[in-house]
Amino acid sequence: MTSMGSWQSRLTQIGHAAQQWVIEWWRLIYLGALLLVLTLSPSSYSRESRLVLSRHIYLNTAPILLWFTVLCALVTVVLTRIVVVTALSYGLSQYALQVVIRVLVLELIPLTAALFVALRCTIPDGAELTAMQASGQLDEMRRQGGDPVRREVLPRVVAGMFSGITLAALSSVVALVVAYVAVYGFNVSGLAAYTRLFGQVFSPAVTLIFVLKTLFFCLAVALIPMASALYGMRDASVRTSAEMRGLVRMFAVILLIEVTSLVGNYY
Amino acid sequence: MSPPQDPLPPNAPPAPAPDPDSVDPLRPGQASASSPAQVASLEFKARMLLVFMLLLVCGAAMYVLYARGAFETTQRLVLISDDSEGVVVGMDLTFSGFPIGRVRRIELAEDGKARILIDVASKDAHWLRTTSVFTLVRGIVGGTNIRAYTGLLKDPPLPDGAVRTVLQGDASAEVPKVIAAAKDLIENLNTLTSSTGAVGASMANLQTLTERLNGPGGALTVLLGSEAEAKKFAATLDRTNALLTKLDGLAAKTDTQVFGEKGVMPETRATIVQLNTMLGEARNSLKKVDAVLQDAQAISANAKDATADLGALRADVEANLRKVEGLINEISRKWPFAKDPRDAEIKLP
Repeated sequence: MTSMGSWQSRLTQIGHAAQQWVIEWWRLIYLGALLLVLTLSPSSYSRESRLVLSRHIYLNTAPILLWFTVLCALVTVVLTRIVVVTALSYGLSQYALQVVIRVLVLELIPLTAALFVALRCTIPDGAELTAMQASGQLDEMRRQGGDPVRREVLPRVVAGMFSGITLAALSSVVALVVAYVAVYGFNVSGLAAYTRLFGQVFSPAVTLIFVLKTLFFCLAVALIPMASALYGMRDASVRTSAEMRGLVRMFAVILLIEVTSLVGNYY
Repeated sequence: MSPPQDPLPPNAPPAPAPDPDSVDPLRPGQASASSPAQVASLEFKARMLLVFMLLLVCGAAMYVLYARGAFETTQRLVLISDDSEGVVVGMDLTFSGFPIGRVRRIELAEDGKARILIDVASKDAHWLRTTSVFTLVRGIVGGTNIRAYTGLLKDPPLPDGAVRTVLQGDASAEVPKVIAAAKDLIENLNTLTSSTGAVGASMANLQTLTERLNGPGGALTVLLGSEAEAKKFAATLDRTNALLTKLDGLAAKTDTQVFGEKGVMPETRATIVQLNTMLGEARNSLKKVDAVLQDAQAISANAKDATADLGALRADVEANLRKVEGLINEISRKWPFAKDPRDAEIKLP
């Protein structure tokens, strides 16, 4: 009887955990859908909302744009040299630039941009939202007839996505230019061949996967910290555990997107 | 599944009191509602950022389209191949190492062959002529290459939609053949070098040969097959030597008989001298005969001339007789002396 009771309690715990897991993911999807609707609604872009959105977009993007670009250029120079020299030593120099474009632009830069935005912007934004919820400001806002999701969450999510896309686009362009200069030097004689090579790498399927991957990366790093901040407080007595769960969930989603894109690109 | 809930439903437990430790002191605007008035000309800067991002994204999209050849005019070339393995959409058609076209589609024809549809840039299409040759080469390392070769650049240009058969050269396909050939070669070598093989038998024979060479009889044993034969050969040689000695003595005697002072040769020489003298005398006799013959020839010539003169004389006599006869006839006709015409006739002797 004791054994049967322990099995029952264990099964109950597993069921409860699974239910909780499904509820959390459903809340995340629901919040994403809600934010998508709010993003596409003209009513979300009143004068005051636009100002708030502008502030978040500017503060999330401008301060990190230059540093991230410089960092990207340095990494590109180093990786390009490594790949070109290695390929040359194996007599495969004709594939060096293609490998650089594939590794850097297709794989590393979107991931790095998303993680950089997460660490510098969206996770602190999530912590800020958590603090606001803990202090009762969101309740107060709701009591006054305001909508916390529209006023506080939406600008942060949109700003996070904007920041991620801008960083990915800019660093991709910088990486392409730096890789060209590292291989051909400061002349335009190799531009036609380089462009052709770029066109070979960016087939329609690869381009679509690249765009979708970047968008989903940005959505994941912008949305999941906010969802953890909004929903995490009720299920966790300690704030850090909710943040940690959010971080783990975000990294799991990023990993899933990356694996899916790799499967799409190479299988 | 529970329905999605508002972040803080009305029946939710009251939020805990704000924890001062959880506030990040590095973010001044934290834990307060967003305020738009903290950055100067915020909206303008945000718009600039938005425009910048849109320019980046649109520029990248245009560059991708340009790199994919979306803005260049092309003409279609269809290559027919038995096997399209290694050919992928987007790969280049090269001419002298320069890419001039791209593979747009690969399809299977009705006859089971692969049709490789290639878009050749119009600005590079003049490199392709009606006599151009196209090859599909698969390397052992690296990808497949489609190459065009034009020998005569003055031939008519390749028309749009031209269909050509591609020549295939597969380096990797040769590898199994090479391996099979090498395997056969190694097997043959093993057969040759095994103990029962030809090389092994040859080596054994060589060893026997060396032993015989080193043994009694040496090379003679090797050449004649056995030691007994070699001994016979040695005996034959000895007898030949003895025979040669006898021949030497015989030759010395012959020399004395033939070339000695009273040998055959001096007497022969004297005989020849006598023969020369006799021949000289015979030559003189012949000269005399020759002179006699010349005299006889002269006599004969004179007789011949005399015969010719007699002929002329006879002709003259005959002519005179005819004249006389004519004269007598004339006299007889004019003045007849005989009663009998037969007596009146003058007869010539």
